[in-house]
Amino acid sequence: MFHPDPLPASFFTRILLLCCLAVSPCLNRESRAQKSGDQDGGTSVPETGEADLATGILLAPRAFRAAAKRVLKSLVTIDSFGGVGSVQGRIGGIRRQGEGSTTGIIVSPDGYVITSSFNFIQKPPIITLTTSDGKKHVAKPVATDWTRRLTLLKIENAGGLPIAEFLSPDSVEVGQWAISVGIGFGDSNPAISAGIVSAKNRAFGRAIQTDANISPANYGGPLVDIRGRVIGVCVPLNPKSGSLASGVEWYDSGIGFAIPLHDSSIIEKLKTGTDIRPGAMGITTVPAKLDGSGVKISKVLPKTAAEKAGLEKEDLITRLGDYVVQDPTQFRMLVGRFDGGSTTKVTFVRGGKEQTTEITFSVKTAAPAGPSPGSNGLPKGSSPKGKQAPSPGKK
Amino acid sequence: MKFHKSGTCSLLLACLVAWTGMTGADALADERLNGFLKRAVDRAQPRTVKIFGASVGRVEGYGTGIMVSDDGMILTGNGVFLNGFNTRVTLHNGRTYPARVVRRDTSLQLALLKIEAATPDYFELKKEPLAQKGDWVIAISNAFKVAERAEPLSVTLGVLSLETRLTSRRREREVIYDGELYLIDCITSNPGAAGGAVVTADGQLVGMIGKLIESRETNTRINYAVPARLLAAFVAGKTSPSTGEPSTQPKKGKPADLGIVLFSLGGRKSPAFVDRVKRGSAAQKAGIRSDDLVVTLSGRTISHAADYQAALAALSAGEKTVIVVKRRTQLKRFEIIADEK
Repeated sequence: MFHPDPLPASFFTRILLLCCLAVSPCLNRESRAQKSGDQDGGTSVPETGEADLATGILLAPRAFRAAAKRVLKSLVTIDSFGGVGSVQGRIGGIRRQGEGSTTGIIVSPDGYVITSSFNFIQKPPIITLTTSDGKKHVAKPVATDWTRRLTLLKIENAGGLPIAEFLSPDSVEVGQWAISVGIGFGDSNPAISAGIVSAKNRAFGRAIQTDANISPANYGGPLVDIRGRVIGVCVPLNPKSGSLASGVEWYDSGIGFAIPLHDSSIIEKLKTGTDIRPGAMGITTVPAKLDGSGVKISKVLPKTAAEKAGLEKEDLITRLGDYVVQDPTQFRMLVGRFDGGSTTKVTFVRGGKEQTTEITFSVKTAAPAGPSPGSNGLPKGSSPKGKQAPSPGKK
Repeated sequence: MKFHKSGTCSLLLACLVAWTGMTGADALADERLNGFLKRAVDRAQPRTVKIFGASVGRVEGYGTGIMVSDDGMILTGNGVFLNGFNTRVTLHNGRTYPARVVRRDTSLQLALLKIEAATPDYFELKKEPLAQKGDWVIAISNAFKVAERAEPLSVTLGVLSLETRLTSRRREREVIYDGELYLIDCITSNPGAAGGAVVTADGQLVGMIGKLIESRETNTRINYAVPARLLAAFVAGKTSPSTGEPSTQPKKGKPADLGIVLFSLGGRKSPAFVDRVKRGSAAQKAGIRSDDLVVTLSGRTISHAADYQAALAALSAGEKTVIVVKRRTQLKRFEIIADEK
């Protein structure tokens, strides 16, 4: 078995520097020189940069290990008991959920744990968590985020648990190292996979894409940066489906997703026991003109967000939140960025006059029909009915 | 067929090419930069061979192998493609030789082949581990039969994910790979890859790409290497190099009983709820009650009734062990001394 490396801080810093060198080669030499001069405050890239690049790549494994070790204490092993023996049919490329433990991440010292909803598609009535100190706890699902495919769990009588540090997506760069960590292979020692950040703002701005292996072995586990800070929570995610299991078919394919949770409002909302679902406006639209200058409302559905916000047929929507509206397809993608129950400003032109109003998105109750049978895959306690965010009546 | 990544490898190579490409003709730097993997690849390619055999039904009739002696001994994954009369091995120089199967191991899914040729380039099977978690590994194989004759095999870069042991199955059948393995994150779970080489960044053999198996824990195909240590034991003629997981071995003592009768809900995968506790039994003395849910026994997670029976079978009468049950919202831990059945 492996023993973690004892890493002196100075050595660690050196590795980081070298690894930074190793991941920045997408920049050309000129911009490299500029950048190093700008940001490092005198710590310029040495003339022997090529040698350092090679050394950095060869030393990267030590940094991978150190990164995985740093997040380890905030990970929990999740065991499920009972539930439907097997979901009918296949889930993506796999026949059914595996029998092994799954991974979760501690997000509050008093016992809230975030994990992938995929880990509960068999609706287990009983869930236990084992923290890194070896203690086992009974856990209860609190709520599910259907747009990010996450489930929040809570253990009782917990305190002082070590929480993970979540990175803001703004500080994540495409091309930087990304290491996925998961306990799913039936060993309390997590398996790791190294890759890079492939893209940002996937799945309507909710996910970061990576080419590190993401699979049931690490769904619910963290994707960490080279310093062991959490870039996101690994989930199966096919942005074109609302099913909690969709995206499993892409496991280990080089197309993997992790959900950033730097924005604490998501966890705070789930803590209240409220599921998060995609938002809807309740309108149909047609292109305004062919010049991409907005969308015209062709129909406002009754008792929807749009009606409550006072939008009417023939209104020309030009802005949604901070985004400029171009055409119906782009508008649909913009709406997709908003969770049900969230509020934003909508700007429209009526009778030649521009107006701005506030809209609170209604909640899409039915999950979009997907090919996967896991679309009803909710853990007990987060029923799709009855726990929705009530659409505020005003506006 | 699934999409599989060539990810990290192409990234690194692209990066190296991109950066060095700008510098112009600094040949020395180029060599130093690109050389850090080239050396390993150059060392591994001539020691890895293509194997062609019988194709049976949907099972592919080809694979990869590694040379393990200077007199033509070749290791590969066990499979029906070796059952025909016409098994051939193609060396890196394109020369092809008939091969015969010397020995097989069904627990590690290995086969040892022999060709009548001198093979001066071969992998040493080191007993001590050469790589640990996170280390770069390079997998070399003829997945999908991409290379023919003297064409070099496909090379991918990844890291060693974990050294572990898992209960697995191959395709639909319950064939247990019984032994330790190195999980890697290069994608090797593809037809024809089994038998390929997994080497360190300086070209030392870490292990051999294993047969296609699915992990029961995740229900996914896994990418792994059989450690060189186990390969060495097999080549040396030890029938089963693996020792088996101690906890799954039935004990020599008398069969044990705890006096717990579980609910039978009809499903194969019912959780291990206690229906009743036999009077005067070990479970009653320990304090187990009806409606408790058995969570662990002897440290093993009990997901369903079958797990409980397996854990019970591993106990012998008179043995002291620990049982953890869930009672309402609490976990309770009891020491229990097994009765005789």
